[in-house]
Amino acid sequence: MKMFLLAFGVGFVLAGATGAQAYHRFWANCNYDAPTFMTTMTRDAGQDYANAARYEGYQWGGGCWNYDDVDSYPYDAPGDPSAHGEGGDCSGLTFKTWRESTDNWRDGRYYWRALRNVHGPYTAGDFKNGLGAPNHVVAKSTAGVMDAFASSTHIGMIFFRTLYGGDQIVEAKCEACGTNIFYRTYRSDPSYGGVARWGWTG
Amino acid sequence: MRRPGIRSLAGGAAGIVAGVIGGIALTSASTAGGPALAVPGLEAAHVPPVLTTMDEPVTLRYAIVCPPRADGEPCDGSGSVFVRAGQSGSFRRLALSRGESSAEGRYFVELPHEIVASPDGFSYYAVLSDDASGATVMVPAGGDMAPQRSFPLRDPTEVVLGTHTFGHGRPPDERVVTAPWGSAVGEAGLAGSRELGFSGPSSFDVAADGTVAVLDQVNARVERWSRAGIQAIDLQVSGGLADFALEPDGTMDVLEPPTRTTPAPVLRSFRADGSPRWAQRLSDRTWAKLGAGPVGPTVQQQPSEQWLPVAEHGAALGRSAQAAHGRPGRPFAGGREVLVERVGGGELRLAELAGNVLLRSWRITSATPLGEVQLAEPHGNRLVVVTKTYTDDRREYVVLVLDRSGVANSFAVDSPEWAESAPLARFRLTGSSLYRLGSTRAGLFVDRFDVEVSR
Repeated sequence: MKMFLLAFGVGFVLAGATGAQAYHRFWANCNYDAPTFMTTMTRDAGQDYANAARYEGYQWGGGCWNYDDVDSYPYDAPGDPSAHGEGGDCSGLTFKTWRESTDNWRDGRYYWRALRNVHGPYTAGDFKNGLGAPNHVVAKSTAGVMDAFASSTHIGMIFFRTLYGGDQIVEAKCEACGTNIFYRTYRSDPSYGGVARWGWTG
Repeated sequence: MRRPGIRSLAGGAAGIVAGVIGGIALTSASTAGGPALAVPGLEAAHVPPVLTTMDEPVTLRYAIVCPPRADGEPCDGSGSVFVRAGQSGSFRRLALSRGESSAEGRYFVELPHEIVASPDGFSYYAVLSDDASGATVMVPAGGDMAPQRSFPLRDPTEVVLGTHTFGHGRPPDERVVTAPWGSAVGEAGLAGSRELGFSGPSSFDVAADGTVAVLDQVNARVERWSRAGIQAIDLQVSGGLADFALEPDGTMDVLEPPTRTTPAPVLRSFRADGSPRWAQRLSDRTWAKLGAGPVGPTVQQQPSEQWLPVAEHGAALGRSAQAAHGRPGRPFAGGREVLVERVGGGELRLAELAGNVLLRSWRITSATPLGEVQLAEPHGNRLVVVTKTYTDDRREYVVLVLDRSGVANSFAVDSPEWAESAPLARFRLTGSSLYRLGSTRAGLFVDRFDVEVSR
């Protein structure tokens, strides 16, 4: 029994080591359910959805998270899509918040649950260029709530404007940053363009 | 040493297997989660009209942000605004209406004329609810102790900027710091990649003697450039894009963003030698700018859109104490405050307050869109303002030295910002010198511009 308990302890410690974990198991909790086709899509429902992804982490190429307010795998190697950690990346978060289709010719509204693992077909640069039927570019000075600013490397959605002229941006910025709302000045940054989703209903 | 028997070996093997299985099961349950364990809380957003023009109708708009509904529809919210004419007295309750559009906040109330027309302005706070859960949130968090305060621009000095001509930025009077990218003393840290974008030193400040202190968060240090040379001081910081301020006694304040493991913003205070004094979570969820106030660091935050003190006389303030002392403007010496409101695409309203009395104000309009206000600080009997003007593919800063009669001095400054920094940390005013933090592919620099005028 003594040997069993000693070995149990050793095994327990080994299980905590990174290499002993199935790398990564977070995606094992995700699903591939069909999205729900919607006739409505309001900007504040978009705020609700993106805000709920805060604290859930960042995963390059990812698009799956839960709502426990913790990044389950906060120390994944940056830029490694095979890490399979929790969270979306910038374009994955935008794709899901904007209820887009994986077919870039469809402009309908598709509600993806948080644990539905989907990134969508668009990079930040694609969004910047307005690629895909649901997307289009807008003048930055007119961009409003739940429109976005995109560069060739990043996209963040406008959560709300501010008194000092910058924007509160909800974004999955980087592995170390996680997903959160940050104050940004993308609006006046020429490396960013304004981009929006067609079809808001309120 | 006795040789282990078969039973011991079998027991040991079984123990390891059981331990590994148990460990994996436990870490899976604690990290991956499976079903949702909690839902995010109630959030809000609001831009207060801190400076109104005479007879301008005022509609207060709020976004109420709830946990997402299973049916994909927006939050079922409601709320009330408690408002009064002037800056003291009892509040009157007005119910918020729910509008068809959420583009500027779905929940709104049009303020009655007798409140908007008050010569002393008006003050208010809101209580917002998620009717599905019963959760409520107050905006600003200070409620009736530190309400939103709005003041009428009675006779503002009008400044018309017209259409901005790009490409005529004034060269600096002096380049005071040049630091190539790197980690040695005298170099500046660079993080990121071509795929993800680059960030360099996120903020800086300048002491009264002209010493330039750069927060090199990538290398977890502050570097000081002075006549005595370059000095590096290690700091325990997260490495995120932080704002930075020097206090007169040498205390260093680092305002950190949320990170993957610390989801709320934190202000860290360090002694002049870099040893930590304290760390304090902010009252609000998001910050825009850190300033060294007359009695301690103060931070412009959202959703309150107020300047909240985070410490007084060296002692950190808890979140409720911060919220209870929120003010609409940034505090300066002598009880003065500077209020800033960017309106629409090309309007900027500014005012100087003493207590709750508006001393003077400016209304600036531009045919070219205006971006963020980087700096608005008193300089003698003038106000120095740095704001950005932009088109979809160009940007420049406009520096305005304002007095009661208008623009005493103005010039444009280009914006070489190859690496990302904190959002409103590009400029610092020390004495009559304006300093700019910039970067290129080769490294970091700090430039000085003289703002003195002889009008």
